[in-house]
Amino acid sequence: MQKPVGDCRKPYRLSIDFPSMVKVTMATANPISDITSASAPPGAGLLVLLAAMPPEQLESLLANLAASFPEEDLLVATPDENAADSHPDLRIVPAPATKSSWELTAADFVNAYHLAGKNEARAILMLGPESSSLAPSALRDLANAVIATSTDLAIPRYDLPPHAALVNSAILYPLSRALFASRARFPMAIDLGLSLRMVERLASAAQRFAPPSQGEVLLWPINEAAVAGFTIDEFDVGPRVLPQPEGPGLNTIFPMVTGSLFADIDAKAAFWQRPRLLPPAHYSTPPAPSTDPARDIAPMLEAFRLAYDNLQDIWRLVLPPKSLLGLKRLSVANAAAFHLSESLWARIVFDFLLAYRLRTINRGHLLGALIPLYLAWVASHINITASGTSPARHIEAVAAAFEADKPYLVSRWRWPDRFNP
Amino acid sequence: MQTVLATVLQQAQPQPLQSFYANNATIWGHMSDALHQSLYRVLSLLIAILPGILAFFTAVAACILIGLALSVLLRRGLTTAKFDERLAHGRGNVDWAPSASPTVLVARTCFWACVLLGLTIGASAFDAAYATATTLPNSLLPYLTRVVGAVLLLFAGTLIARFLARSILIGAVNMQLQYARFLSLGVKWLVLVLTAAMVLDHLQIGGDVVVLAFGILFGGIVLTLALAVGLGSRDLVSRSLESHGERSTERSAAPPNPPSTGADDSIRHF
Repeated sequence: MQKPVGDCRKPYRLSIDFPSMVKVTMATANPISDITSASAPPGAGLLVLLAAMPPEQLESLLANLAASFPEEDLLVATPDENAADSHPDLRIVPAPATKSSWELTAADFVNAYHLAGKNEARAILMLGPESSSLAPSALRDLANAVIATSTDLAIPRYDLPPHAALVNSAILYPLSRALFASRARFPMAIDLGLSLRMVERLASAAQRFAPPSQGEVLLWPINEAAVAGFTIDEFDVGPRVLPQPEGPGLNTIFPMVTGSLFADIDAKAAFWQRPRLLPPAHYSTPPAPSTDPARDIAPMLEAFRLAYDNLQDIWRLVLPPKSLLGLKRLSVANAAAFHLSESLWARIVFDFLLAYRLRTINRGHLLGALIPLYLAWVASHINITASGTSPARHIEAVAAAFEADKPYLVSRWRWPDRFNP
Repeated sequence: MQTVLATVLQQAQPQPLQSFYANNATIWGHMSDALHQSLYRVLSLLIAILPGILAFFTAVAACILIGLALSVLLRRGLTTAKFDERLAHGRGNVDWAPSASPTVLVARTCFWACVLLGLTIGASAFDAAYATATTLPNSLLPYLTRVVGAVLLLFAGTLIARFLARSILIGAVNMQLQYARFLSLGVKWLVLVLTAAMVLDHLQIGGDVVVLAFGILFGGIVLTLALAVGLGSRDLVSRSLESHGERSTERSAAPPNPPSTGADDSIRHF
């Protein structure tokens, strides 16, 4: 973990500091009451900012919060106007509603910063939609990390089904790990524990965008924390129901998410081009599931083959001949033998990232042309996990391939016109 | 009788030859006059606008040189003043690409502003010189401006056609439409035909024939695409309707807060 730097200091800090592994095991510890008895600042200790959610989910979540934290230190901000009436025991303030329904946007961080300042909170816990599925211990872990230790960003590690959050596994996590030296498994997590300076940093990053568009812009807390030199800790929070985007499908959401990450990487190139050591892993790779029912990968293969027949002219502008040759071989492989190697996938993503930076073609077109390749990766991932390999192990292998290929990215980022076989 | 006829013929024959030669000489004279007058008009026009042309090129060349000098000076000055670093300060880690740093951007903007200024001054000088020479009717130079406009139209139309073709190709492939390439080509040619018709109309070539031909071609392409999409996407529409129906059924039947068991086997991208 990197040491915190910068002028901004936390309001106060406990003399004890929990090692990361201990933080995970101390899931039921509740240091907030101890802190407040030592010195009680006038404002709320912890501001919990909730996303809009159905009343029954809100009820369940508020009950969890009431059971997990002392009432005098807890301030809940929710867009639901009726929550205060139904829970008079909790201090509940109204929060502005945002448009997003499945991820945290820049507007959420701006709201969190304003609410924290207004209520003199010492730390912020942001909980996304359907966070009622999180265990109370998970809420305590995330909150305690930012309020009782020097952690600036507490990020959850969800226990998701084997084939959930695949965009995260294929692109977001490997890129984040390779470039920003963070092992956080879910860079786009929707539940976050934030220190004051972390939320200030995120709010200032959000202020770069015009207020009307803040509700649609994604921010990348891990990247921001890494660049600022803030401390990041990851906590095992167990299973969680992740909300899925409604309305627009993969063809709309995928370019938005990857484009946002690519733009952030482009803006932080001065940081990630320097070599950095990856912190040691705190979590072991789980074993392969005993039963992994076969899934139909035919539609994904069909999408990839159709794209191979039609999008070669566009891919040729982005990918080097070696990658195109690999794709050609894949296009004729049968479903059982379909395997997109980790190194080829890493090279493809890096080449698309470079093309995004160089504006080789229109960025919307570029990210749209990446979708069939991502589907090919999903098909390959399903094939690999069906053969008995643990999904987590395969994802770690993919992330390792990204790390190994990082010199290629750095080299071509600096000298894009160099010969590229 | 024969003598009379011979006399008449002898008297009648020389007259047409004389008038023919006389008329021929008149035609050549007229032609020569017309050519001389035309040559005179063109030479007069060229002489009248020559200072304007020279002024145009001189203004453009001078402004390019000034622009280059200013650009170099600005680049050196801003680099010395660490303009990029100062601009990035307070904005976090902003990495400027070497080819798109603010210094380069300012220098380029200055250069192209000078070029634009030179073109404006030159065009103004040329316009003034040409206005004094328009006492002689000449339609060649105004037509050249139309040609420039037509070239710009063709350029813009080609760019738009290419952009739309790519957008549709990628969108259709991601929607798994088997006729994605055909659709993309159809739209590309639709825009190209429209552009060609606009260009010809701008150049005033063809008149009504172009409009008619364009109408037929455009209508034909639209009809072909409509038939192809209508017949080819029946499966897609039915699939879309089915999935929409299934989704709404699931939503109405699903519990409001589904329990997370960690054993959900469906593929979720997010």
